Amino acid sequence: CKSLEENPASFVTPENFYTSKAQVEAAFASSMNNLWSAWDGYSYGFGPFVNDDQIYGGDLNISISQGDGLWKAHYEALLNLNNPISAIKKGNLRGVDDATVKQLLAQAKFLRAFNYFMLVRMFGGVPLLTEETPNTAQLQVPRAPAKEVYALIVSDLTEAAANLPKTWPAAQKARPTSAAAKGLLAKVYLTMATAPLNDVSYYQKAADMALQVMQEGTYSLVPKVEEVFSLANKYGPEMMFSFNSSDDDLATDPQIWAPGVMGGWGDFSANPIWERTYPAGPRKAAYLITEYNGVPYTKWPGNQAAYIRKYLNISTADFNSYRSTSNIPILRFADVLLIFAEAENMAKGAPTQAAVDAVNRVIDRANGNVANPARPRLTTALSKDAFDKAVIEERNLELCFEYDRWFDLVRKRMLKDVNPEWTANFSEDDYLFPIPEADLRMNSLLEQNPGYPTPARN
Amino acid sequence: HGTTPALRRMERVISGRVTGNDGPLPGASIVVKGTTVGTTTDTEGKYTLRAADKATTLVVSYIGYLPQEIAIGNRTTIDIVLQQDANTLSEMVVVGYGTQRKSDLTGSISSIKAADITQLPTQRVDQALQGRAAGVMVLNTDGAPGGNTTIRVRGMNSINGGNNALIVIDGLQGGNLNSLNPNDIENIEVLKDASATAIYGSQGANGVILITTKMGKKGKPMITYSYNIGVQNLRNKLDVMNAADFARTVNANIATQTGSGNIPVPMFTDAQIRDYEQTGGTDWQDVVYRTATLQNHQLSISGGTENLRYLVSGGYLDQQGILVNSSYKRFSLRANLNTDITKRVRFGLNWAGSKEAGNSPPFGDAGISFLGNAVNVAPRWAPTEPVYDANGNYSVHRPGYGASDTWNPLASAMEPYIDNNTIRNTLNGYLEFDLLKDLKLRITGGAIIQNLNNQRYYNLKTKEGVQYNGSGTVNTDLYTRYQNSNILTYDKTFGVHRLTATGVVEQQFQKSSGSGTQAKNFLVDQTGVFDLAGAGSVVNSSSASERVINSYLGRINYSYKDKYLLTASYRADGSSVFGKNNKWGYFPSASVAWNASEEEFIRNLNVISNLKVRASWGVTGNQAISPYGTLARISSGSNYPYNGNNTTDLGFYIASAANPDLKWESTTQTNLGLDVAVLRGRLTATVDYYHKTTKDLLLYRELPGYTGLANILSNIGSVENKGIELALGGDPLVGAFKWNTNFNVSANRNKVLDLGTATQISYKTTVGGYGVNKNFMYLAKGEPFGQMYGWQYEGVWKTGEAEQAARYGQLPGDPRYTDLNNDGVIDTKDIKAIGNAFPKFIFGWSNRMTYKAFELNFLIQGTKGNDIFNQGRIRLEGPGEGTSARLLDRWTPDNQDTDVPGFIDGLTRQQANLTNKVLIAGDQRLSRWVEDGSYIRLKTVTLSYNVPQALSEKVKLSRVRAYVSGTNLITLTTYSGYDPEVSSFNGNDAQIGVDFSNYPPARILTFGIDVSF
Repeated sequence: CKSLEENPASFVTPENFYTSKAQVEAAFASSMNNLWSAWDGYSYGFGPFVNDDQIYGGDLNISISQGDGLWKAHYEALLNLNNPISAIKKGNLRGVDDATVKQLLAQAKFLRAFNYFMLVRMFGGVPLLTEETPNTAQLQVPRAPAKEVYALIVSDLTEAAANLPKTWPAAQKARPTSAAAKGLLAKVYLTMATAPLNDVSYYQKAADMALQVMQEGTYSLVPKVEEVFSLANKYGPEMMFSFNSSDDDLATDPQIWAPGVMGGWGDFSANPIWERTYPAGPRKAAYLITEYNGVPYTKWPGNQAAYIRKYLNISTADFNSYRSTSNIPILRFADVLLIFAEAENMAKGAPTQAAVDAVNRVIDRANGNVANPARPRLTTALSKDAFDKAVIEERNLELCFEYDRWFDLVRKRMLKDVNPEWTANFSEDDYLFPIPEADLRMNSLLEQNPGYPTPARN
Repeated sequence: HGTTPALRRMERVISGRVTGNDGPLPGASIVVKGTTVGTTTDTEGKYTLRAADKATTLVVSYIGYLPQEIAIGNRTTIDIVLQQDANTLSEMVVVGYGTQRKSDLTGSISSIKAADITQLPTQRVDQALQGRAAGVMVLNTDGAPGGNTTIRVRGMNSINGGNNALIVIDGLQGGNLNSLNPNDIENIEVLKDASATAIYGSQGANGVILITTKMGKKGKPMITYSYNIGVQNLRNKLDVMNAADFARTVNANIATQTGSGNIPVPMFTDAQIRDYEQTGGTDWQDVVYRTATLQNHQLSISGGTENLRYLVSGGYLDQQGILVNSSYKRFSLRANLNTDITKRVRFGLNWAGSKEAGNSPPFGDAGISFLGNAVNVAPRWAPTEPVYDANGNYSVHRPGYGASDTWNPLASAMEPYIDNNTIRNTLNGYLEFDLLKDLKLRITGGAIIQNLNNQRYYNLKTKEGVQYNGSGTVNTDLYTRYQNSNILTYDKTFGVHRLTATGVVEQQFQKSSGSGTQAKNFLVDQTGVFDLAGAGSVVNSSSASERVINSYLGRINYSYKDKYLLTASYRADGSSVFGKNNKWGYFPSASVAWNASEEEFIRNLNVISNLKVRASWGVTGNQAISPYGTLARISSGSNYPYNGNNTTDLGFYIASAANPDLKWESTTQTNLGLDVAVLRGRLTATVDYYHKTTKDLLLYRELPGYTGLANILSNIGSVENKGIELALGGDPLVGAFKWNTNFNVSANRNKVLDLGTATQISYKTTVGGYGVNKNFMYLAKGEPFGQMYGWQYEGVWKTGEAEQAARYGQLPGDPRYTDLNNDGVIDTKDIKAIGNAFPKFIFGWSNRMTYKAFELNFLIQGTKGNDIFNQGRIRLEGPGEGTSARLLDRWTPDNQDTDVPGFIDGLTRQQANLTNKVLIAGDQRLSRWVEDGSYIRLKTVTLSYNVPQALSEKVKLSRVRAYVSGTNLITLTTYSGYDPEVSSFNGNDAQIGVDFSNYPPARILTFGIDVSF
């Protein structure tokens, strides 16, 4: 008789994986793939953020399942990051020098910080799982306070910034750099300075960190606003880290971004109320589709709304072939400039020349470097509050449809003001998504966010 | 050599012919009474024998017939007509690891005879089972030639483990019905209750189908050849609009787009519409469906000598599909041989080989986008679009209306190159020794070797091909299965006691290894998948797995005076696929029966020829888990361009957590049965009641999202199936006009008893783009399998109900839903069960009528009480794009009596300024799309003519039969899709009953001829 013991030939178990650099990097690739899916991921994932004022279709009735898919996706990614970190710490990696080990850990921590940063902004405090957490499948843990989550993010990004290289070789150009870690850390600090933590001491840290990135010079603005999202600029000079697609790994069909008149499916469009306030100029034409063949959207059959051009900088042939290799930014240099401007102003109590210069670099580019009365440059004459407001508005315009606006509305507590039609639906509870129903059901240690029901526990 | 003249004078030659109810009886035994002198009849039932002058009586016997004694007298020619044994007490039935007298059975077994299958021009064995056995549900999930069927014996026990019955062909487990030539089958037994199936232990829970193939009989070689040719057509077209109606409907929809002061511009001018009225436009269903032919050749030679019997048969089936560019071909060859090596040692060998080649453009949920799925897009494409453009290329749908994002239906059907090949070899041999008079040892060894080689290429005329600049896949797979069973049988009669004891040691080993290549970016479209080196991107994959099952089993059959019967069996299975801590499973069964008709007081009534009461109990199992399912796993395939290059980077991820405690799903079944035969066997009835509880169900226990894993496979959950089966058989007419009829009906009720910590498990039975983005079918505690959940659709608000409608923010002509909790809002709280995919009962009625040389066979079968989610309608009836003729019946102020929502004017809606309280945001989980799937179908009908022997013998043929046959000729149903027999999502039984772009079944008309010589 043959033995009943099993010895699988075509796969390994986690205990005997993560033994080489390539295996660890394969886990990183997977962790990004966990997030970059069409459904419940970031490839087609504006659904959870539909209640910002940019995406058409929101109404501030936040569904009980809002963000469920992203919660799962981020924790899948975290599983594929914590395990290699743990294996590296245990010394499972063989024949790899210390510098490489440090660099691998730095990448893992950059990615882990990014995942927790998304989670903590959507849900508040979350279960904080690290490489030290054993046996995840049987795990019952409470939510860690948001502060602790931020502490891990800051520590991970600090380590990443110290150990990531300034640049990668061309064949690895999309990997996170030291400046990307610093830029992300600046964004984390800025968020910590605003709601809900409101620790204003972080404004200066955010400004300092952003300034380091600006002075370092690894990244810069793409000169022409029309080319910010061109395929040639997918990995720089402005893009610092992104969700990537390639010929071998296409993004979701481009038809989702395009209106029916262009042969698209029109899944995502801009809220007309928001679009009407968007200042005319080169940037509007570059980032939005407001007309097609000379016909404005108000005359289109079907959904009469502007669409998003950022992810449609592909050839007609590719479009007709359902091929999109567009990236969606996670962090780009324009963001860093605006982080600096906002943080500097708030830290110093008034707009400094440096703050004004930083934001004006973005505005000038948006206007094609000519004066545009619809979107004039900012000056040091503005009050602290007026400047702050103007920078937030500039983020609104520049970073539209990049998974950024919702978080600005949350950290600046602006939700109630952005759409007068929704005011009746607004409550303070809307600043956090609900903790997924399934997780609450299976783990009685988890607490629901205010304003959402808690299911029966089992 | 020879007899001496002196002896010869004392002998005489007697010859003649033995016939039964159905004609000549080949292999009948004729013995001179009181001697060993005898012979058997040849293939035509003829015999010749030399009997001593003093011989007075012949004894003639044949299995299933009453033996007859015939006085010889002075005759030299004696034709004998045997009478069928009314209660067929002596009939033998194949059971697991042996045979048993039918009268000794204590379990529930349905038998199907070869004649029932071969009288029909059946292409596939699984289809032949439909409607013929009580408790056996056969669902043709799609209509493609060589397509899939789902066979369920007494409901479904498992959720994730599969519910397919175990197929055992000539004792070899794990057989495949697709590759089997129906003509090779001698009989089929379906083992249903635990008394019959527990002997198969961990593989028996879903019932067992035992197939015995034909064997040659002693006599001169008999050659039979049969040929049939058929034509197939689309049974039923979807009711879509002609071009003019469609153009007007599109215009009507555009005309309502008046919101925000918009002034609509019609898509079609009046002149264009008049033109469409003349031409009628394109009927896309006519474009992609065709009249398809079918041909089937069968040739077999069989015969035997004193010590050797053989059968060699070959078949060739060539079936075109009704969807262009689809077909199925099967070559099959079988050689069965057995021989008596000595008086006490026998040897047998069966070899069967087949090659199947099937191809069909993708349909249903077939892994490619439905935008390029011909079945999906054909009825949806605008009839206003031409097939080809002015340059003779496939046309591209004009934008702005209709299904403009989809691919040309004809291109979607014609251009994919799909070539699926399966080669199967089955080798099965035995040596049988009579160790003692009553003790037999049978050593069997068998192997199934199956090789898959599938190639597909999407060229630059297909959607997939354009998207990936040519896209191809090559998959090969080698599967081998070995089985060795060593069966010791002790069979002894002690006066009124009869005992059969069986002991078996068995080992099974399966190995599967496969590899696949996915290639994109081809430099040369013409060579495509045949030149993988020319592809810019190639991703390879491979896999391998093994499974071992070691078993020990035993069974005792005991009967006392043929009245009181007892069967008990026990099996121990050790399987590699289970957790370290639970490798072995144990499966007992016991059953008793009382042959009441053997009792004097009943025999004396002279009414009842057979009356048997049966009761059984037993435990069976389901392997339910793939190899290595208990181990934690790192999987490849989560690739991502992490480095930012054009090639993607390998991604490895943690796919599952370990569970060393995993074990069998076990089903405990009790069965009560009654067999009755009256009127000397002309009327028979069998009733069975069963109750099955399956526990330790392997379910994916949901894990909290923060674990990073969706679930872990665990033994949780329990389901129950109970049901009643009734089979009636009879010979209402036995004279010159004969009529044999069999009717069966069965009802199964199932219920999910426990899902562990979950109250429900739900499934997304759809693809994107159909507005069914949330899970639609649920398994919920206390509910049956196949439940569909959504909103109850109540039709449309009528003009008189404007005020009521306004409370929900709706206008007359808008859809109306049940506000379950009456809170004034239609939201997720109003979701309820809106359908169930499983029938309340299924039935089959088969008939065989003969009159002189004519014979009429027909089978009527159907289901009652099942629902189908007709998902395709969602977009066929979508305003602005839909082509369904139902849209012509949409609500208008003048057409109130309809359930099709109207096209509501945008400005009117704006001015009404209502607050929408229907918060379902386009979710299409609506009872509007749920339809009754009940049907009654004339499944097959065959009229045949047996050419009189006198005539056929003139051309040296012993038998000639010609026939005409129809399949799916008449179907009574209210279901509006292509066919009520459909299931697009067959990942498990919780998702059956959704109709999405599935290949429609054909109506088939066949002409055939059988000849023997």
